[in-house]
Amino acid sequence: MEEDEFFGEKTFQHYCAEFIKHSQKIGDGWEWRASKDCSDGYMCKTHFQVKNGTAMSHQGTSAHVQTFLPMEEAVDPPLDDFEVTETTTAAEVIKYEYHVLYSCSYQVPVLYFRASFLDGRPLALKDIWEGVHECYKMRLLQGPWDTITQQEHPILGQPFFVLHPCKTSEFMIPVLKNSQKINRNVNYITSWLSMVGPAVGLNLPLSYATAASQEEGNVSGQDSSIERKSLEEH
Amino acid sequence: MAEEQESTLLLPPSAAPEAEVPAEVSPETATPEPPSSAAVSPGTEEPVGDTKKKIDILLKAVGDTPIMKTKKWAVERTRTIQGLIDFIKKFLKLVASEQLFIYVNQSFAPSPDQEVGTLYECFGSDGKLVLHYCKSQAWG
Repeated sequence: MEEDEFFGEKTFQHYCAEFIKHSQKIGDGWEWRASKDCSDGYMCKTHFQVKNGTAMSHQGTSAHVQTFLPMEEAVDPPLDDFEVTETTTAAEVIKYEYHVLYSCSYQVPVLYFRASFLDGRPLALKDIWEGVHECYKMRLLQGPWDTITQQEHPILGQPFFVLHPCKTSEFMIPVLKNSQKINRNVNYITSWLSMVGPAVGLNLPLSYATAASQEEGNVSGQDSSIERKSLEEH
Repeated sequence: MAEEQESTLLLPPSAAPEAEVPAEVSPETATPEPPSSAAVSPGTEEPVGDTKKKIDILLKAVGDTPIMKTKKWAVERTRTIQGLIDFIKKFLKLVASEQLFIYVNQSFAPSPDQEVGTLYECFGSDGKLVLHYCKSQAWG
């Protein structure tokens, strides 16, 4: 099996499957969608956010609701049921969609995303910029057209924003090299998404980190080793 | 293990038992200039008797990232990852546009708003939280 920073479609799907397993455990809302001919697919999640920045979804995207404990609420609650934590009379709800696809040309995962108001109006790139976390603004603003671009979704054929993948392998290498000394079962997708997600409003609950570490020398870790072995045989 | 000189990120630890040296003592390098953000302020007032306001963090460099001469820090629980990132970047004199990531379990980057106190509860052991940090360019 290809190691380290580059991997094939099958490995990508394996990591996504493991990731989604944990997502289901904690109700984080990620799903796998296969393409029409099922040869490939992607991982996706939708969440809703009030435009003034208060997250009202139940996927733990807001820092102050993000905890170590599993989420109990179901994904995509009906709008009637959402609780607005602040009184915002002119608040607008924005729907964010995040898709994780595999890039054959770069041999790394790629984060596609789009945002729209509930009436279907898409958010402009400028609004996306405003949503970028402070941490990343400086870097992204230096060359926004290098880092977030608009492209056609390879499977859906609709316009999405994309975090450019050309540096992915570069920044994943030191992390993987370092972590694989301790734990061979590091989930590339978990690690990668934890790093790039926050830049576009996607925060992973902490329990993903623990899920990965539980595979260290643990009995349960054998399952993924077995899965990996069978992948290697392909 | 031989403790490296401990420095205080925020306020001087008054009741923290392991602080044998005065908190304001500088590490063997030049005293880090604290960022003007709320992340770091040289010690002034410290509530006496609040033993658990701060947690110990051990910072480890990954890859080619410069190694901090002072690796062990006492940090207020409410400090966010973003605050810590800003601090390390200033300490290492990185330019603002360079990206720095912090990891728990060596592979997972907590979101920037995560508080270190929470991370300590989840991932700390032996009385400290080990965080790895790595300089990189995530995009472009």
